[in-house]
Amino acid sequence: MAGKSPVKAAASSDTTSTPIPNPNQFKPPQISTKLTTPAAVKSEIPSTPTRSSRPSSIDADVIHVPSYSRWFSWGKIDSCELRFLPEFFDGRYPSKSPILYMYYRNSIIKQFRENPSRKIFFTDARRTLLGDVGSVRRVFDFLELWGLINYSASSTHLKDAALTSKHSSTCGRFCGACRSLCTFACFVHDKGNFRVGLSNADFSRVEITNEAKADWLEKETSLLLEAIIHYGDDWKKVAQHVGGRTDKDCIPHFIKLPFGEEYLGHPCSDKAEPGFETNKRMRLTPLADASNPIMAQAAFLSALAGVKVAEAATLAALTTLSEVDDTRASKVGRGSLLRNTRQEADISSDGDTNLNALERAYADLDSLLEKEEQDIERAINGITEVQMKEIQDRILHFEELYLQMEKERQKFEGMKNLLFIYQLNLSFGKSYAMKTEERVMEKVKTDFIIIVCILFYLPLQAMANREFLEFKEIACQCF
Amino acid sequence: MKPPASASWKAPLKFRMPTAENLVPIRLDIEVDGQRYKDSFTWNPYDPDSEVVMFAKRTVKDLKLAPGFIPQIVQSIQSQLADFRSYEGQDMYAGDKIVPIKLDLRVNHTVIRDQFLWDLNNFESDPEEFSRTLCKDLGIEDPEVGPAIAFAIREQLYEIAIQNVTSARENRINKKGRRGAEHFPLSKAGGAALDLMKLFNFRSSVVRKRKEWDYYKPILDLLSNEDVDALEAKEERSGR
Repeated sequence: MAGKSPVKAAASSDTTSTPIPNPNQFKPPQISTKLTTPAAVKSEIPSTPTRSSRPSSIDADVIHVPSYSRWFSWGKIDSCELRFLPEFFDGRYPSKSPILYMYYRNSIIKQFRENPSRKIFFTDARRTLLGDVGSVRRVFDFLELWGLINYSASSTHLKDAALTSKHSSTCGRFCGACRSLCTFACFVHDKGNFRVGLSNADFSRVEITNEAKADWLEKETSLLLEAIIHYGDDWKKVAQHVGGRTDKDCIPHFIKLPFGEEYLGHPCSDKAEPGFETNKRMRLTPLADASNPIMAQAAFLSALAGVKVAEAATLAALTTLSEVDDTRASKVGRGSLLRNTRQEADISSDGDTNLNALERAYADLDSLLEKEEQDIERAINGITEVQMKEIQDRILHFEELYLQMEKERQKFEGMKNLLFIYQLNLSFGKSYAMKTEERVMEKVKTDFIIIVCILFYLPLQAMANREFLEFKEIACQCF
Repeated sequence: MKPPASASWKAPLKFRMPTAENLVPIRLDIEVDGQRYKDSFTWNPYDPDSEVVMFAKRTVKDLKLAPGFIPQIVQSIQSQLADFRSYEGQDMYAGDKIVPIKLDLRVNHTVIRDQFLWDLNNFESDPEEFSRTLCKDLGIEDPEVGPAIAFAIREQLYEIAIQNVTSARENRINKKGRRGAEHFPLSKAGGAALDLMKLFNFRSSVVRKRKEWDYYKPILDLLSNEDVDALEAKEERSGR
């Protein structure tokens, strides 16, 4: 690219153009609405390593940059750049990267600073830059707005630039429209902030008045009410009458007026009605703040519907509820009594206020129901107790049987042991002087004994099994 | 190598510039009240139409042209954009196309002539990047040369893309007519590309032959003021 900026050294020494280091280089543009307030002046020398700051042998003057552009830095991207030119940072176009943005920005600024006394035109800039002219134009406009180029070229141009674009951030007055610091003017557009598709003409100017923050005085309020009585719907005239307030200020203020002002209102004025109704609405819904969302809903709906409708609705609801209770109560078997009470309730309800009678009937019904429930509970308890006792007896019986079995088993164990001892005796006794046949004979004898014992053992086993099966059956029955 | 037909037939893609960014090259040449305005730049077709008007106003203000230029500029840009958009929905036939791109420009004092091959299938290609590198390598100081080169590349790519669209259309019609589906790439647009295909078969090497080196070398001339004036006068005369 063409030569280095000769005024680089001068620029860095200029107090108004010191940048604020900002690590926001590649963050997505989720910026809060706080604009960059002038922070403490940091004496950082902005430079990229490739740049060499030539001593200003040329008679170039100091580059003036407005204080609200203090954030500018050659190597970095500030948050307001992210905000104003999101197209380079949101990754939608693969080639529109922050690097490309910095290339545009730095080349435009360099080009301007080569000849700072002459205003640089967009066409000059875009001729030297690669890329589509739309993006270049946006970067150019941004830089011009923030005074990074063409700032000292002509002061009138600056005013135009500032006034015909978005608000810039300096310590200024508080602007009611954008709720932040504004200097020259604030422009609003219902679609939101300045974007590619919108032009200057789409924005409407909002006057920043110092009274935006001031409260309404009593005098003003009374003037307002007077005006409303006289002019009713015509807010322009009302605003005129009040003086010093726009109609857009008057309307919200009027709506916010406390309910007690109602007596001043004209019933036939259209604007008064919704105002009053909202007042009443706000008064009659004390439960609207209740944490219980259902209550809040109910309160809101009842307020919307109106008093008579709400009454009728509650009455209908209560009668149906009582009918439902009636059917439930009759199932338990105390229907007649309840029906009487219901008839009583009906009769009494026909007399004075329905709500009270129904409530009384309800109380009676409730107590009866409770008694029923208690009876049922007691009966169930008795039944379960009896059952439990039965099971307990059975368990005891089985324990006895089991004991018996154990005894017999032990007896049998003893017999087995005896047999074993006999066997041993026989085999040891006969081992020396026995011949094979005799040994076999002895074996047969011992086998015979074993078989007899087993046979004796088997029925015992069977008996034990039978008992055990019985026990199992009964246990199953219980449970 | 297989006959180029079956090797290069690919499903048609939707039309777009074969570059990373789908930008349209716009050329303006308007004359109003004796003032002549010639310009060329790239435009982002996704910008809203209000941008066109703003750009026109801006340009007229910057260059101090007559206000009668504004509607003409707007109309010209819009018609070129409309052309671009009319191609947009259609199919583009993109085979294995490597096309030669030629540069022959004069920008202020710099004359540049060059020729190189460009891969049409590479949708990540970036003429801007190429131009930037070229200028840096050649040490071109005039910052206006870069965009001019990028623009020239884009224009040529655009024309070729348009040709692909028309060829795809023709081929579709032909397909219905005859069964010879292998004849697709033999349209006139593919003529230049086909020659290159022959170059890259396995019999020859990828390295360029020595005699072709001169063709593919960039030639850079710096003119003096008189030459510039002379050339400009000649161009105007030929233009009229």
